[in-house]
Parts: sequence; structure tokens; C-alpha cells
Amino acid sequence: MSAVPITRAFDGLATRIDTLGVRSLGFTSALRGEGVSTIALGTALGLCDLRNDAVLLVDANWLEPSLTNDAGLSGEPGLAEHLAHHAKLEPLIRRPHTSRIAFLPIGDRTRARPTLRALGSFLATETSSFETVIVDLPPILAGERFVLPWAAVLDEICIVLREEATPLPLVRQAVDTLPVANAPYVILNRAKASSVDVPAKLVAALR
Amino acid sequence: MRPYLATARRYRWLLLTIIALIWGAGLAAAFVEYKTTFESEATIWVLRASPELTVTSPNDPSQPILQTAATQQADLLDQLLLTDAFVRDVVRQTSLRAALDAAPDESRFLERVAKGFQVQTHGTNLLTVAYVAQDPVLAAEMVNAVLAVRADRIAQASVTFSAAASTLYQQQFKVAQAQAIDAQSAVDKFDQSHTAPLSDLEQHQRDQLRLALDFAQVRLGDIKGRIDQATLAPAVLAVSGMEFQVVDQPRVENSPRGGTRPAATIAAVAIAAGAALAALLVLLGTILPAHAKGPADVARLAPVKLLAAVPRVPRLQGSAGRPTNIRASLAAIAFGGGGADGDSNE
Repeated sequence: MSAVPITRAFDGLATRIDTLGVRSLGFTSALRGEGVSTIALGTALGLCDLRNDAVLLVDANWLEPSLTNDAGLSGEPGLAEHLAHHAKLEPLIRRPHTSRIAFLPIGDRTRARPTLRALGSFLATETSSFETVIVDLPPILAGERFVLPWAAVLDEICIVLREEATPLPLVRQAVDTLPVANAPYVILNRAKASSVDVPAKLVAALR
Repeated sequence: MRPYLATARRYRWLLLTIIALIWGAGLAAAFVEYKTTFESEATIWVLRASPELTVTSPNDPSQPILQTAATQQADLLDQLLLTDAFVRDVVRQTSLRAALDAAPDESRFLERVAKGFQVQTHGTNLLTVAYVAQDPVLAAEMVNAVLAVRADRIAQASVTFSAAASTLYQQQFKVAQAQAIDAQSAVDKFDQSHTAPLSDLEQHQRDQLRLALDFAQVRLGDIKGRIDQATLAPAVLAVSGMEFQVVDQPRVENSPRGGTRPAATIAAVAIAAGAALAALLVLLGTILPAHAKGPADVARLAPVKLLAAVPRVPRLQGSAGRPTNIRASLAAIAFGGGGADGDSNE
């Protein structure tokens, strides 16, 4: 591990989100493989430090729940069980001792699908104790039905795209799919140093 | 339509540069073509020769005339210009002679020269022969040469043809002469063997012999007339020059002439090519997926706004010496444990 915390790569993003003052934020993309889960994880860690508080990280990627796999919680009950059976949320949330992240794994995806009513209640009531909620969502074009309910209830939606890789017309198509009043934000992932202002020193330090 | 306009607006400087280059080059080439093209032209009045002066029989029904005099002569010149021998003779009479001798591929050289000639008819009896060159003197030389070589060829062909016709008529004359002598002998013999008064039968026989003699003598005279015509007609035509009169001699032009059409063609092709290339670029730029090459490109997704750019982080050296990545490191920090290896921030 480097002497420089790896989370510094997400400092700029976390700072801007903090400045926006949003409580709930979802990360999605137009296509697979854009780095959404990594961005969600890094941002959650960055916001933990920035707000000095626990951040609820929700794995809502019905197509590829990689955060749940990373946490070693595959097969464990999680969000799907809560949405399906109104299981109590608190026992489902894992609180690793290594960070202030509170993680909600996806659970058994076959049991439930996200609905607008359930998600509204989930964000407004069940998670009211958390100042910040970060949701990892599937790609819009591949999993539109899993994204749209979240887009209606989250404060902001961020679309992650990879520099010099993601076709802009597809991003446009994904943006047009979202029926949100406020235009979503875009996060440029894997940007060259010239595209990024703050973390250039970090990249140099990591090398 | 809007995406195409957006693409055109985005690449406007590239498009303008391409169009300026192609159009500029095309217009410059057209201007040079116009300024360095000199055409020399001869105007010729042609008449069809009188049937009386033609070698062939005017009564021959196998020679239909479907062309005007001008078309006939223009076709003749065009056909002559298709032959290397004719063009070679033309070139040898001009200042291009040395270039012909030095040309590595004589056939291609002659073909290029022949392409410079233009033979056009104007009405039934008028035609023009023109040559386009970059040297005004050469253009006039070429037209003069082509007329001279044509005249030589026509005269030569006429002499050859009349000689052949004369030979044929001479043979026919000998046969007819023998027939006339035989007929005369038959009449003389009859007169010697029969004395007057003749019976009706004898008189009839003598009339038959006289008729045969008259026919033989008429045919003899006819063939003799044709022999004279075959000998004299070409000479009369050549002396009179009425069949092919050069009304306006080719001149050495001091100002560019004849290059308007090729110059216009070059300019039109350049303009069309520039427009087509620009249209193709706009089409490809619209159809092919564009990638975000930086924050500036994200602005094309308006009203979507760029929130932040996350830098590309190189692979890190893991504790076991294996390269690990940012995702595994983040998972280790967030959840504890080793995390999973994989690509960097993906």
C-alpha cells in the first residue's frame, strides 16, 4: 500500500458532491465496465472522511453486484430481502471495522425488484439515520428497469463514462432515458492527468 | 438534420481547411490551364466533287450518299487521326519532331498528340480543324501539318485509285477493241461473199452484223471516255481545289484560347470533390461514435454537466508482489480482507 491513501483519487469528486449538499446519490453508466462500482466505493470512502460520518453504501446493481462480491457477502440477505419482505434493515447493514462505511449488500436478486414505493420508503424512512446514501446502480441501457425507480427517488444521479472509450451517442441515449427533472451529472473516469486538476500529484506519488 | 449540423459546427475549421485546400488547388489548376492553353484553328469550306469528275461511274447505284460534305471530310480526318502513321507524318512536319524521336514510347506520344486535335462540322459544308497546345506556335504548326499531310494522302490515294481504274479500263478496252475488229471482219466477209441485189434473208443477216459492229464501236468509245476521265479528273480536282478550300488559315494566337472548357471542368471537379469530401466527413463524424476525449467533450451532452474527473490510477504493487489495483485496494479499506484483483479503476 502506498503512503498516500488511495481514496485521495476521489477527493475531488467527494468534495464536489459535498458541496452540492445532496444526501442520496446514485452512480450508473450507459454501458458495462465504466467503473461505476469503483467510483461509488471510492466516493463513499471519500465522503466518510469529508463529512466525518458513516455513509450508507447500497449495492443495487441487479445485473452485476460486484460490491457484494468484494465484501464477500454473496448469498447473504440484503436489499432484495428488505424490499421483498420488509425485513428489518438494521441487521442487513454490515459495518466493517476497517472503515466508517455502512454497506447494504444486494441479497437474493430473484426475490424482489426495486419499486418506486418501496424505494421511496427505503430512502425517506428506513435510512433516515444516515446523512449520506450512495447507491451503486446497473448500466442504464442494459438495466433500465432497475435504474428508473432509483432515479425518481434519489437526490442526484451521476453517469460515469470512461475517457476516450464511452461513445457519446450512447451516453446521450442513456441520459434521455432518465425521466428526472434535474439533468444528471457526468463523471469522467480514468481521465488523463491533463483532464484532472487536483489529483495529478497523487498519480505521481502512486508511481 | 440537427446532428449533422452539430458535427459540421464542431469540425468547422477542419472542414473549412479541407474545402479551402481542395477548392484553392482546383481553381489554381483551372487558372493555369486557362492561361497556358492556346488553340489554333483552320476553317475549311468543303464541296462534294461533281459526279462528272469522280472516277467511279455516276450511274453506279451501289454508292449511296448519306453524309453531308462537311461530315464526310470530318469523318475522314478523324479516321486518319486514329492511325499512328498519319499522326507520325504530321508530327514530323512540326517542331515536335525531335520530341517524337526522343520519346521512349512512340505510340503513347502519338496518341497524346492526336488527342489535341478537334474536328468539328458547322453546317453542311463548313468544318474546323483545331489543335490545343501549351505553345501557340506549335498549335498553328500542327493544324497546318495535318492539312498538308491530309492533302498528300488524298492526292496519293487518288493517283493510286485512278491508276488502278485506268488499268481496268485498258483491259476492258482491249477486249472491246477485239470485239469491234471481229464485228468489222464479219461485215466485210459478208459483203465480199454476197453481191447485190440481196434477198430479204441476206439483207436481214447483214443488218444483224452491222448492229453488232455498231454496239462494239459504241462500247469502245465509252471505255475510251472513261479512261480519259480517270486520268484527268483527279488532276482537275487537284488544280481547282474546290473540294477542300481552307477559308481561314490557322494563326499563332497571342492570347490564351481554347482552355475555357477544360479549366471549367477542373474547377467544377475540384468544387464537387471538396463539397463531397466535406459532406463525407460530416456524415462519418455523425455516424461514427464519438468518444469523450476530455471535459470539453462532455459539454456536448448538455444540459448534462460534468461533476468531476477521476484520474487514471496505475496498478499498485500488492503485498504479495503481485500487481493489484485501485478497486481491490478500496475494497480492502472499505470491507477489510484482501479484496479481488482486477483491472485498475474499473
